[in-house]
Amino acid sequence: MSWRLICDDGVGAAFGLAADDYMAGAVGRGESDPLLRLYTYRDHCALAGRFQDVENEIHLDFCRGHGIAVNRRPTGGGTIFMGRNQLGVALCIPGKKEDTYGRAREVMGRFSEGIIRGLQSLGVRARFRRKNDIEVEGRKIAGLGIFRDSSGGLLFHSSILVDMDIALMLKVLNTPFEKISDKEIATVDQRITTVCRESGRALSTDQVRQAVATGYKEVFNTSLTEGYFSTRELERIALRQQEKYERPEWIYQTSRVKDAEGMCRIKTEKGLLEVRLTLAGRQIKALFIRGDFFASETAIADVEGHFRWHAAHKEKIEETLNQLYHKHNEALSSLPQQSLLQAIVQALSRARVVEKKLSLEPYGCFVSPGGNLHA
Amino acid sequence: MSRKEFLFPEELFYEKNSHMWIKKEDDDIIVTGIDAIGLDNLGDLAYITLRPAGTRVKKGESMGTLEAAKMTGDVFAPVSGTVVAVNEACVQNPGIVNDDTYGRGWLISIKADDWPGESVDFVSGEALKPWVEAEIKRLESQGFDA
Repeated sequence: MSWRLICDDGVGAAFGLAADDYMAGAVGRGESDPLLRLYTYRDHCALAGRFQDVENEIHLDFCRGHGIAVNRRPTGGGTIFMGRNQLGVALCIPGKKEDTYGRAREVMGRFSEGIIRGLQSLGVRARFRRKNDIEVEGRKIAGLGIFRDSSGGLLFHSSILVDMDIALMLKVLNTPFEKISDKEIATVDQRITTVCRESGRALSTDQVRQAVATGYKEVFNTSLTEGYFSTRELERIALRQQEKYERPEWIYQTSRVKDAEGMCRIKTEKGLLEVRLTLAGRQIKALFIRGDFFASETAIADVEGHFRWHAAHKEKIEETLNQLYHKHNEALSSLPQQSLLQAIVQALSRARVVEKKLSLEPYGCFVSPGGNLHA
Repeated sequence: MSRKEFLFPEELFYEKNSHMWIKKEDDDIIVTGIDAIGLDNLGDLAYITLRPAGTRVKKGESMGTLEAAKMTGDVFAPVSGTVVAVNEACVQNPGIVNDDTYGRGWLISIKADDWPGESVDFVSGEALKPWVEAEIKRLESQGFDA
């Protein structure tokens, strides 16, 4: 079967999201062939994950002052910073009604293969990191998310970092850093990477787009017919934009599961170790490790990446650390495994205390999404 | 490697497409949640929203949304009717669903419009065991880790 290919650039946040959301349903209902959309947002926008609180995730005053759009994706995960140097990927394919909750974990890996093949053709050693990232040597190069429309249509979302202004990103997104200096910028720079850096070339977003399109063609053995949205589709997208993605009730809704943060600082025989952890319900949403021990930043970035959206159970944390220490035996030799485990578990336990306090607070700030804004 | 075992209480009904369990109470009121296979596919739930009491819902359509293992999607209504109650404890702590889906992890209660008509497609009784076996086989064939 042939897929549609839509390439558009400089789109507004509300239109970009409304188009993906509407088209996932249209494909699910059989009104459109599968669609691969490779696009960029107008500089710049911050897009929170489906259930994140934008107040916690984004420096809203800075965004207002600098014309940076804020919106909420239909897909899960954390907040992303998008602009002309980040390639958005939206793959809309029909799902099957009987697979409502089936294969969620498998399809993520499968859908990411087109991107991986495309990046590899540019000389980037990209690979899928279980759950939700594409990485290069432990550094994140693309984030992934899946939304299943009620029609059965699947929307696979990705943001590929072709290049990134880290200093600006840190001004927009809320981070564990108390201040942002060159040191913090360098720390983030060690944890993410870009297509330009990994390929050693100043590639344009369009060159990456062509590579990714070819990657999908090859992996899914399909042909791509380039076009644009039909007039009817544009009308429907405009409606979805007005009714959902331009409404504060959608963008600023808050979750009943509050993020809770915990921190632990311990002295190890090799130096000071500090762990900051964000807990969202039963998942570790983010983990940040630093200290004056000597360890490879790439290995630390890989450890942090494995603990994003990781089950908050001691046994599972221990199991993941065993695998990571096996993989990075030498690179992590100055950071004792038992000390890191102890610090994570203590930070988790402190986050749970904070979570308990938050759950006792009244729900005055909860905005019920209501109506179509639920979906 | 031993196969996973999935609990499917025999006194409940099951909606085949959405993997929701349904418990029929008096006056056509039903209580519903996600069944064991549905939950296994999703993994740990991070967030849930559910339509509030008094909302009208339609069989097969969305009555809320969820996020688990970074997949977001709808929670589907197994019957048409009016939402009577929402399990606020699960909305605040979705992990309860993973811990005890058939008990404290119920999601929503609905006054059904047409229980006799809409329940005919549900799996229950003697049909339950073969359906569960067939579902496991189907998912195994798709790379499901059973």
